[in-house]
Amino acid sequence: MEPVVGISCSVENECASFTPSAPIWQDILAQAITGELVAALNYTALAEICDDPEEVADALEHAAGERGHAAAFAAEGRKIGLDVANNVDAKHWKRLREAFMQCITERDFIACLIVQEIMLESFAVASYARVGKVAPGSLGQTFAAIAAQEEEHVDHAMEILRTERAKDAQRFDEKVHRLHLEVMTTLAKMLAKECKDGHCEVCHGNCVKPSLFEVSLSAAELRGASLQQYLKTLDRLGLPGEVTLAWMSQLPV
Amino acid sequence: MDVSVASVAKRGRTTEIDFALIGHQESWKAAADVLTFLRGPEHSPLPDDEIKDILPWIPPRAVCHVEVESITGARARGLYIDSFIPPDHLDGAYVHDNLARVRGAAACAIKAEAGIVSLGGFSSILLEGNFDQLPQRHNTVFTTGNTLTVGFIVQGIKRMCDLEGRDLRTSTLLIVGASGDVGSGCARCLAPLVRRVLLHARNLERLRTLATELEARGVEVEVATDLDQFSTKADVVICAASLASPSLMLGRIAPHALICDAGYPKNLSPNAQMPDATIFFGGLGQIAGGLKFAPDLHGILNRHPFPNVVHGCLLEGMALALEQRFEPFSQGRGYITQDRVEEIEAIAARHGIYLAPLYNAHGPVEDGVHCQLPTQKSFSTTANTHFCC
Repeated sequence: MEPVVGISCSVENECASFTPSAPIWQDILAQAITGELVAALNYTALAEICDDPEEVADALEHAAGERGHAAAFAAEGRKIGLDVANNVDAKHWKRLREAFMQCITERDFIACLIVQEIMLESFAVASYARVGKVAPGSLGQTFAAIAAQEEEHVDHAMEILRTERAKDAQRFDEKVHRLHLEVMTTLAKMLAKECKDGHCEVCHGNCVKPSLFEVSLSAAELRGASLQQYLKTLDRLGLPGEVTLAWMSQLPV
Repeated sequence: MDVSVASVAKRGRTTEIDFALIGHQESWKAAADVLTFLRGPEHSPLPDDEIKDILPWIPPRAVCHVEVESITGARARGLYIDSFIPPDHLDGAYVHDNLARVRGAAACAIKAEAGIVSLGGFSSILLEGNFDQLPQRHNTVFTTGNTLTVGFIVQGIKRMCDLEGRDLRTSTLLIVGASGDVGSGCARCLAPLVRRVLLHARNLERLRTLATELEARGVEVEVATDLDQFSTKADVVICAASLASPSLMLGRIAPHALICDAGYPKNLSPNAQMPDATIFFGGLGQIAGGLKFAPDLHGILNRHPFPNVVHGCLLEGMALALEQRFEPFSQGRGYITQDRVEEIEAIAARHGIYLAPLYNAHGPVEDGVHCQLPTQKSFSTTANTHFCC
């Protein structure tokens, strides 16, 4: 796994520019680190069900890469004087993890790729890219660079998934829908403009969403960009647009 | 550009998608209805603020399958593809974003291997003269559909004149948006039939070019970029401006004027106070053979008070698909002539596609029963089947 980004400005300058918005970045970083650690756990588990040694190596490499991303985000936190926590057992993340582990239990390699690469990575790619555009200094560079790397993961998985879909499109699409109902419903709740189910257990204090405008972000924008990325990814896989539009329309808000 | 009959290609289609219709929703209410339908009755409707937050992020994509039946028994299958242009982004400030959306919708049509694609509403406006900006097209051809729209506008004017006992030959015709493809096409078709023509648009140079062309045919023409300059002089008005313009209130209008609003979105504000004028919505056709949608978006993608009503621009693609004429019938701007209008009207009529009964924001302005439908069968089986995009 290649290094994420180099540090391009001094710690003192970073601290000075972040002070007022530091609590917001703290929560954004906490979500990102948690997501990366969940991804690392998922890839590690995936390695255990792969038969092909090359696939095992790929999965472990991805796991290491996700841990590297988490470390890079944590380092960005430290630069602005924050010790960013994470919580892979937070309720939404735990549910996402359980959905993935169900695929592992079923030894369904394709389902694992759909959950991790199509659903979770769409969320990561889109939201990191948006954060990368507004976050100052090396924090923004780190988010943007990791977004680009995550996108490469998706490209790799797309080849495998397209091949699989070509064998039996209807069966493949039904599998995606079943996983969509479970995983994207949870992600949609995470991405809702307001956390209606109570505290997400990742933010360090009150919910960060109402404060995102202070750093030129919004929960609606992050959700919109994530769903757009997801739909585009499904388009690239070849799923009918009218079908995935209906799926998206039925997600909770 | 080659729009000649010689360019017509009759070819066997192997794809299941004969045509695609690219459109967008005219209002947030219309957009909300589409998403609410897709969301299903088991889910609570999306609040308005959520719809406004979500819709702009939806990539262009197919919304439903459409099947149209000819009175000859022929059928054509297609897709309705929405560009998801936000209804409040239908102005010049968003032109680049909107163009990208239309290109995305065009890519969907090409991917579906549609034989012919009609560009509805704003979509055609963006691409008039800009066909090089479309994605690689392979065997898919594109038409703005404007020729049939012009045909139905002209037919509508004539029908309203008949209904009201007006003599078109003594009328002064004002065309708002006369430099556009639809406006200039209407001018060419109606100018020989009226006493005088007034042309309005923002681009004076284009107006003068059109005026010169009409004057060469012996027509009395005036041009203006200021609508107030002659809006009170006209007794027949066609509104075919390209954008929803709040300034287009036509507040000063001749008493008892006949106004055809052919815009999509509508040119005239619903609040326009023109109590003595007769207003109708123009450019709409009706399919005698009927339409089917899957999923069944009857009455949701459209808001017409009569069944099987579709905008002329979209009907053009359907008519050409039924005719198995996969050709770019309407492209560019300013090429619509009387001959071309008659040609597409004849094709449409062969398949039972006629001028729709006329109506306005308050409802029908005629009863709709005299429409040239050979049977009423389709009304009973596809009640509330309207289509607008």
